[in-house]
Parts: sequence; structure tokens; C-alpha cells
Amino acid sequence: MSNKIVAKKVSVFYGPKQALFDVDLNVAEKQVTALIGPSGCGKSTFIRCLNRMNDVIDICKVSGNIEIDGKDIYDKSVDVVQLREKVGMVFQKPNPFPKSIYENISYGPTIHGIAKDKTHMDEIVETSLKKAALWDEVKDRLDQPGTGLSGGQQQRLCIARAISINPEVILMDEPCSALDPIATAKIETLIDDLKSSYTIAIVTHSMAQAARVSQHTGFFHLGKLIEFDFTDKIFKNPENQMTQDYITGRFG
Amino acid sequence: MNEHIVKSYDEQLSILKNTIAKMGSLAERQIKDATEAALKQDQGFADAIVGKDDRIDDLEKSIEQQVVNLLTMRQPLAIDLRETVSAMKISSDLERIGDLSKNIAKRSRHLDQNIVDDINKNFSAASVKVQKNVKFVLDAFLNRDAKLAEQVWYADEEIDTLVDICMNSILKCIEKSSDGSGAAACSQMMFMSKNLERIGDHATNIAETVYFLVTGDYLEGDRPKGESDIVSGQ
Ligand SMILES: Nc1ncnc2c1ncn2[C@@H]1O[C@H](COP(=O)(O)OP(=O)(O)OP(=O)(O)O)[C@@H](O)[C@H]1O
Ligand SMILES: [Mg+2]
Repeated sequence: MSNKIVAKKVSVFYGPKQALFDVDLNVAEKQVTALIGPSGCGKSTFIRCLNRMNDVIDICKVSGNIEIDGKDIYDKSVDVVQLREKVGMVFQKPNPFPKSIYENISYGPTIHGIAKDKTHMDEIVETSLKKAALWDEVKDRLDQPGTGLSGGQQQRLCIARAISINPEVILMDEPCSALDPIATAKIETLIDDLKSSYTIAIVTHSMAQAARVSQHTGFFHLGKLIEFDFTDKIFKNPENQMTQDYITGRFG
Repeated sequence: MNEHIVKSYDEQLSILKNTIAKMGSLAERQIKDATEAALKQDQGFADAIVGKDDRIDDLEKSIEQQVVNLLTMRQPLAIDLRETVSAMKISSDLERIGDLSKNIAKRSRHLDQNIVDDINKNFSAASVKVQKNVKFVLDAFLNRDAKLAEQVWYADEEIDTLVDICMNSILKCIEKSSDGSGAAACSQMMFMSKNLERIGDHATNIAETVYFLVTGDYLEGDRPKGESDIVSGQ
């Protein structure tokens, strides 16, 4: 088992406020790593570091070292657009483009030059939507705006969009928080399927979901990584009392 | 231990623990009484013991329901999960202990004067050791004491030895009676001794469960086994 992502001593500041403190965390290749912890503990902040999404926040300063495939992703020579092609992301809040459902998916493959022709693009759109468990609900209205979908459908659209460009790493920030149990089960199945070819990091507030989909789990609290271990260990017998209190719902 | 944010979750868990405690003390009592009924050949007492087994069965059902409720409503994790799963396992061992005790009481109705003092003495000794193990393992459960659970686990070997001694004395008695007059009662006694040994095994199961509950680890290694041939069949 090798590490796709190696993060060392990652600290993040929003202006004067420190949101992450010296986080060391590795993301194993072709496995699912779950990040859990109370609201505001820095899960999104950490996951956003992994494809430099924090760059777009002016007051945000990231220090430490993050390597993907042994390469420092904060190095000056790194092309951020290429990085994000390789490291796709599904955000906490669904953010479809104000364009048609079809174009929401075709956008990525177009700018990255992935589709050979129109037929190929149709194929990519269809398989991406199928994988994200949305195809049946939208196949007859692909030309309608993505923003007209329900919240849960929008989230699945964003998942379809993320996988349409075949990234190597997929970062998911609470991808199922707006989904019903059936759609959640489909996304979890998708995550399970995807891990044979992709490396996945997922933020979730559902302990059961973390236990179901991930092999590794990191517990964050107040910007610090408190415990990181095999998921099995974390949910059956964690080492740290804080982890235990959190996952058993005892946090005061 | 910190408390759950949802108060009633803690209440549910503590009710579960109390139900196990109640079931445990009834089961422990049944072994003691069944042994006494056998030694005194007291049929009336034996009947009463048989009648009391339903109470243990009811508690097992109650625990099963509580566990199912906890799993669906709370989706317990970590210590809570171990607690919930352990309760289920321990209750089924206690139910078996209750059954085996009931069986001792039932068989005791068929005993007669042919049971010699020697056998009674050995049976009593084995039973006392079994009762001790069951008591200790319940204490280990209530006090979350992994060390004590481990001791109970090791002590099972002594039960096997005592049961073996008892069985040998029964065998000797059968061999000695030339006309076969005591054979029926002796063979009842044989099954009753075997029941004691099996109750000991259930106490060992519970010891393993308690160890897992407290530490999250499994007791390593082969189960301790007595040297005895009759008990182990080796
Ligand atoms: N753009 C921002 N500007 C200023 N502070 C921010 C910004 N984003 C996050 N923070 C702060 O950083 C800390 C960590 O936030 P983050 O969004 O990473 O938490 P989280 O663990 O993802 O929480 P949640 O589970 O609620 O999504 C919080 O204190 C938050 O207020
Ligand atoms: Mg977040």
C-alpha cells in the first residue's frame, strides 16, 4: 500500500486565525480515506489544500508540505489547472454551472480535450451520469439547466462532473449531506467502485458512512489531527478518548 | 466516562447492563440450587428450579429486544458497540447456563440412594468451582475488569479437572455394582457432571466477551484444557 498524497506539517491561517495546526496525514493510493470531526474543525480546509482550492481565498495562507506522487503541489512550477484535473473535487454545497445538464458534464472533458467527437462526448456524459446514479432521472431533459434540479440531484450532477474527466484523486466534501438514503447508497456504491482506479478522500458527518466506505479515517478536532488509523480500529476501538467521545456522540 | 449528549442513550445502555446483571444473578442462583436439589435429592425443590427457568428466558428476550432497539435507534460505535454486541452474546451464554442448570435439576429427580457420598462430595466441589467462575465473570462484567475475566478464563482448567475427578468416581461406582442396580442413577449423575463442565465453558465464553468488551482485543491462544480424558474426550 503506497501513499498517493503525503501531507506534512500543514498549517492554515485565515487572516490571523489559525484553522489547521501541523497536520501530518497520508492518503493511501486507491483507497478511501475519511475525514471526520465536529463542525469547524478544519476538514474542508484540509481537503481544499489537496488541490489548492484555498488559493482562491485571499486571506488564506497555507504552510507545510503536500506531495502528490512525490511532487510538491505548492511548488512554483505546478500548473494549478492541471493539478485540479488530476485532483477533482465535489464540494459541500452543490455548485452546478448555470448551464444545461449536458454542458455541466461536457465542460470538463471539452477544456481538457478528452472527448474525441460528439458520440464520444455523449458516451462520457451518459456514463458519468449513470455512475453518479442520476441518469434515469435526467436522461430526457439533458438540455435543461442544471440549477433547476433538486439539491440532491445537483449534488449527483457535481459528482458526475467530477468523474467525467477521469481524475486520479477525488476529494469529496460531504457529498451525501443532501441526499436521500437510496441516492446515498448509490453514491457509496460508486465510491466503492471508484476506489479500484481512484484515490478518494471524503469528508463526512456520518460515522456509519465513514465506516461503510473508507479504509482509513482521520479524526480532526479544533484544527488538529487527533487520531488517524484504519477505519475498523477507529470505529471499534479508538486509542484517543476524544475520538471515542466524538464517534459515540459524547462530545460536550 | 463522559455522558452522551442524548441522555436517554445512557439510560438505555445502563438498563441493558442491569438486565444482564439480573439475568446473571438468577443463572448463578440456579446452578447453586440445582446442585443442592441433587445433593439432597429433593424433588420438590428440583421442580421449583425447573419452573424458574422461564424467568431467565424472558430476560434473554428482553435483552435481545433492547439490543435491536439500540442498533436501530443509536447505531452504537466503539465502546457502545462493544457493549451492545457483548450484551447479546453474554445473554445467550447465560440462557444456556440456565438451561443446563434446569437440566441438572430435572435429572436429580431420578437419583436414588445408590449415589455414594464420594460422588456427592466430588460433584459438590466441581459445582462450587463452577459457581465461583460464573460469579467472578459476572463481577468482571459489572466492573469492566479485564484482568479478572482473564483469570476466569484460565481457571476453567480447574473445573475440567474437578469434573473429571467426579466422573471417575461415578465410573468406579458403576463398575463396583455387580448387579447394575446403581447404573441408572449413576448415568444421570454423569450427565449432570458434564452439564457442570459445559456451564464452565459458557463462563469461559463470557470471560472472552468481557475481555473484548473492556479492551477491544481478543484473548489470545488456545483455551486452557484440563488433562482429563473423560471431559475432553481425548
Ligand atoms: N473562507 C474562510 N474565511 C475565514 N475563516 C474560514 C474560512 N473557511 C473556514 N474558516 C474557518 O476555519 C475553521 C475551519 O473551517 P472548515 O470549513 O475547514 O471546517 P469543517 O471542519 O469543514 O466544518 P463543517 O463540518 O461545518 O463543514 C473554522 O473556524 C472556520 O470558521
Ligand atoms: Mg466543511
